[in-house]
Amino acid sequence: MADPKKPRPAFAPWDRRELPGAFTVEESARRVGNYKWVEMRLFEALGGWVATVPELDVKMRLGTHCYKHAWHAELWHKRLPELREMNPDRLTLPANDDIVAFMDAMTEPEGPDKTIEKLVGVYRVLIPHKIAAYTYHLNNTSTITDAPTIRSLKFALQDEFDDWRDGEMLIQSLIESEDDVRRAADHQVRLETLMVKAGGVAGPGSLGDPTVPTAQEVSV
Amino acid sequence: MTSPAKRILPVEELARDERFVRIGIDERFNDPRTAGRTGTAARVGRGFKPESRNAPDRARALMHGIFVGEIQALEGAGRTCWDFEVGTGPDDVPFELKLDMARQCWDESRHCEISVKLGEWMGTEIGEFAESTFLYEAACNPDPVLRLTGVNRALEGLAIDVFNTMKEFGAATGDPVLEFCEDWMLADEVTHVKMGSDWLRRITEKDPDRRAKALEFQKVVDKLFSGGGFRGESEDSPIKLARRFRELAGFTSEEVDEISDISRQARAEAEARMAARA
Repeated sequence: MADPKKPRPAFAPWDRRELPGAFTVEESARRVGNYKWVEMRLFEALGGWVATVPELDVKMRLGTHCYKHAWHAELWHKRLPELREMNPDRLTLPANDDIVAFMDAMTEPEGPDKTIEKLVGVYRVLIPHKIAAYTYHLNNTSTITDAPTIRSLKFALQDEFDDWRDGEMLIQSLIESEDDVRRAADHQVRLETLMVKAGGVAGPGSLGDPTVPTAQEVSV
Repeated sequence: MTSPAKRILPVEELARDERFVRIGIDERFNDPRTAGRTGTAARVGRGFKPESRNAPDRARALMHGIFVGEIQALEGAGRTCWDFEVGTGPDDVPFELKLDMARQCWDESRHCEISVKLGEWMGTEIGEFAESTFLYEAACNPDPVLRLTGVNRALEGLAIDVFNTMKEFGAATGDPVLEFCEDWMLADEVTHVKMGSDWLRRITEKDPDRRAKALEFQKVVDKLFSGGGFRGESEDSPIKLARRFRELAGFTSEEVDEISDISRQARAEAEARMAARA
């Protein structure tokens, strides 16, 4: 056995974590607040849609996914006070007005004949953008100082990947004709355009330079 | 320009595939074939004994009723996530209440999955029995406290009684799969009833009138679901009140006594109706 008194380095040779990170406490908190807002809008929409989709397998999947996004919202809600925001509601905000417009458009389909549109909005537009924003945050924040956010991001990403696959498979199983393909694509284009305008789920810089000014800052 | 999806989805708009056959509350209560008894009570009959010749069919009917009930419970919990804003106003709900409802969505989704598989196992096809929509109707109350009390205390309370009865039926008939699944669902239902009890207490802490109104609504729903003495403590009640599990879920002994009284009253009224028709 190794001598327990022998000095060892604080970081084992295989531990490559580093102190520097791209985000300040405030920037990490802002993004987390944006994530919480998006997760809330998403789980509310999924819950509301359950009663409006006639396809039994889709109904049960939406009920399951609804909880996962509520749990993500809870993770972000609990993280905010740890990032010096003692009133989590103050930072539970959309990144900008364009993400609000996106969410309004995504949650608009209501009738029982709109399952493709509902699923496309969530699984072909929103969730891929969430995966992008979460992955960017995960890969750029300080692996030591912001480790609690990283842990939550990893939990959330695992769910996002699972749900993305579930949703995409449901969409593929529902698309049976050229018309269906066009419906799905048209709706995706409409929503993707709104998302591009928003700059991603956390606004401009969702997956790029966090110092890029937000839409509000540009307009001022 | 977008137009937002509506709040409070009317029962007529519940989406189903073509296998499902829906009947309204009036149709069910006025069905001459089941005069005096209603809904599942009529199908299940007095007592729910494994030695009965009709027990397998009764169990199948009840399982299908559980399945459609779980779909509506899922839809009701989902609508509560959507229908109310987070806030402190009388029409708003706390953030944590919505989280509980989302959790309930997941649980009810699993219950749908479990009950559809158990139904198949018992030889039942989806849509073989009609679907009545009382459960979802209780979940449309525009007051979130009344909705939670009606659904999570009255209806999920009934689910405790039903699952406990089915679990005992599974044990008595040597069906370990049925017994196993019902026991798991029972654990979830105790959690849901407890959620209802906790939220009722928390939200109405400083509003005794609202609490009284919510408990009154619960009684109405409890009575509706005790139709014809379907659920009670009599020897021949098809569904037995599960006292121990209800107490685990936050009901006091007095509250369980009250439900038992409501069931007796519902049964007496049903018997009087039958006598009047005879």
